[in-house]
Amino acid sequence: MKIESRKRVSNMQWFSASLLCGWVCCASANPFNPNLSLILDGVYKSENTALFENEKGFGLGHTELTMQDAIDDRFIGSLSAVLESHEGETELELEEAYINTVALPLGLDIRAGRFLSQIGYLNSHHTHSDHFTGRPVVYRALLGAHYFDDGLRLNVLLPTPFYWRVGVEAFNGSQLAGGEGEEDIGVYTVNSRWGGDFSPSNSWQLGLSWLDHRFDVLPDDEDADHEMEEDHDHGEHAHSHEAAYSGGNMFIADAVWKWAPRGNGRRGQLMLAGEYFHVHDLNEHATDDDDHEGWYASAVYRFHSQWSAGLRYGEVDLKQAHGDHFHDQSLEEADVMLAWSPSHFSAIRLQYTTQEGDGFDEINDTVTLQYVMSLGAHGAHEF
Amino acid sequence: MNFNRLPAMLFCMAWLAVGNVTAKVDIMACEPEWASLAKSLGGDKVSVESVTTAFQDPHHIEARPSLIVKARNADMLFCTGAELEVGWLPILLLKSTNSKIQPNQPGYFLAADQVALIEKPASVDRSQGDVHADGNPHVHWDPYRLLTIAEAFHQRLQTVDPGNDTHYRQRYREFVIRFRSAIKTWEAKAEPLNGVKVFVYHKNWSYLLNWLKIEAVADLEPKPGIPPTGAHLARLLKASKHSPAKMILIANYQDEKAARWLSDRADIPVVSLPFTVGGDHSVTDLISLYDEVLTRLLAASSP
Repeated sequence: MKIESRKRVSNMQWFSASLLCGWVCCASANPFNPNLSLILDGVYKSENTALFENEKGFGLGHTELTMQDAIDDRFIGSLSAVLESHEGETELELEEAYINTVALPLGLDIRAGRFLSQIGYLNSHHTHSDHFTGRPVVYRALLGAHYFDDGLRLNVLLPTPFYWRVGVEAFNGSQLAGGEGEEDIGVYTVNSRWGGDFSPSNSWQLGLSWLDHRFDVLPDDEDADHEMEEDHDHGEHAHSHEAAYSGGNMFIADAVWKWAPRGNGRRGQLMLAGEYFHVHDLNEHATDDDDHEGWYASAVYRFHSQWSAGLRYGEVDLKQAHGDHFHDQSLEEADVMLAWSPSHFSAIRLQYTTQEGDGFDEINDTVTLQYVMSLGAHGAHEF
Repeated sequence: MNFNRLPAMLFCMAWLAVGNVTAKVDIMACEPEWASLAKSLGGDKVSVESVTTAFQDPHHIEARPSLIVKARNADMLFCTGAELEVGWLPILLLKSTNSKIQPNQPGYFLAADQVALIEKPASVDRSQGDVHADGNPHVHWDPYRLLTIAEAFHQRLQTVDPGNDTHYRQRYREFVIRFRSAIKTWEAKAEPLNGVKVFVYHKNWSYLLNWLKIEAVADLEPKPGIPPTGAHLARLLKASKHSPAKMILIANYQDEKAARWLSDRADIPVVSLPFTVGGDHSVTDLISLYDEVLTRLLAASSP
């Protein structure tokens, strides 16, 4: 299934060309204003792996153009367009195109348009700021690596002495598997996030998220079964961002802890992160025992201002729908990575990934070499 | 714990937080030097907190949750600007949802906007390193620029808190008298430093060196923001044979390894300096910061 907004290169060539020209013109006239950035991302993989976008060999990751700036004193606007090359054709996808309010009263904050959902820890971060090549396996299975959609968000920053933000989002729902429902609003999310510092060197953040997916089960079970099979055959390598698995209710808990010597991230930093996912109400045939479950934990240590090393382990237990019953699938994945960032704007990463599991075709070990580089505006240092 | 009481407790906490804000002007400083200046000029009518310490590189801060809370509660912010905080201040402002400290509001005050900056590049190209398009942002190392910034900030304080304008004018007059007489003392004391050649780790001492007419012969960083490399240090070592430098200046939050390497081979001392207020136990405000740095420079330059 292709996302409708994706257009072929002939239609969109002028658009990407004008974006690039705009960037070149403005970059020479007035260096970093408006805030335009271009991300270049290239990958080499030694093997195909299960539930992973990129096929083996050389390939491009997220080539991304982002424009962001104040619209006036009340709104900011942001656009992120991703150019992807697939089977000889270049496709342009709008990953984000939103407006956001600035400084509403009572700690309120509203975002509208297409944007990354704030569920979980990693989901709202752009993939080019990740420390590993590829999102954790649970993200790839349940959120299509990163879940973005058309909708509306309302956040409240509560007036507590520690950080506490509560938010709700309503989305179209078309970007999650099974998202062909009748409802105008296919997805609701609720998210609560807390954070603070233990000391100048230690900072923490916790989050709880719940996603209500009001999808309709497709009327004909046989079709549903067929479509799932098709998705399963092609979905692994097609770079569709749709999640491969879904359910009516998704629950996510996330925790992050960061340490830096005297809080000086320049000298070194240890970053620990973990998330747990649980999805139930898979479809009308699902019993209480039929659910998707997964988690990951990662540790990244920047031991030099230019070098970092990391370990990540993650697993998922999935149920693949076959008419009125389910087939078990599982995947476990471990990664080791070493990255070199000569400046703020460039990174080259070597990663070894090993997979084990049941019910997938290409469970393999792979070596991945990746570069992620940015031109233009200085990226945001998000926690 | 009785959870029935939780809403009441939260309400009280919120009320206390709001109550504090109305009592004093709550100022969020991005760096300790501005926190110190704001305290000197605001006295007991302001409550000031710096979101970074003297041991943190202000360019490499993350917009972490605790900073969002501080930004949310602030009536004013006092930052350097000139892209020093570009990685975290814009996102902090957006996430704070605080209308008082947004750009163009009276509560938004950038030191670099008040003075002319040096080392402004003719063109900005990342192959030159992490250069600041607006010029060198480390303006607190020029005492005369500091006076200009103090004047602008005391006027801004009167705009934000007009009820206490006479208090702020009085504090400013006192500060200027104190600081001007300190400048005289420093300039007399620093005469032996005139013409001394030094290596610097990063271009963060440029204003100080210009003021005292100290000559920076080279940077340990091959390009701004790029850590020293072996090849670059070897070149510096070779160059130091021809035109010997007296010392290597580094801020005490920076990595000493490269400076030590060069120091051992070129046989010149590393002078590790507090870059801002709080960088040493003796450095409690801007005047003691200048005192301490001058003392260390003079000690290292006298044979």
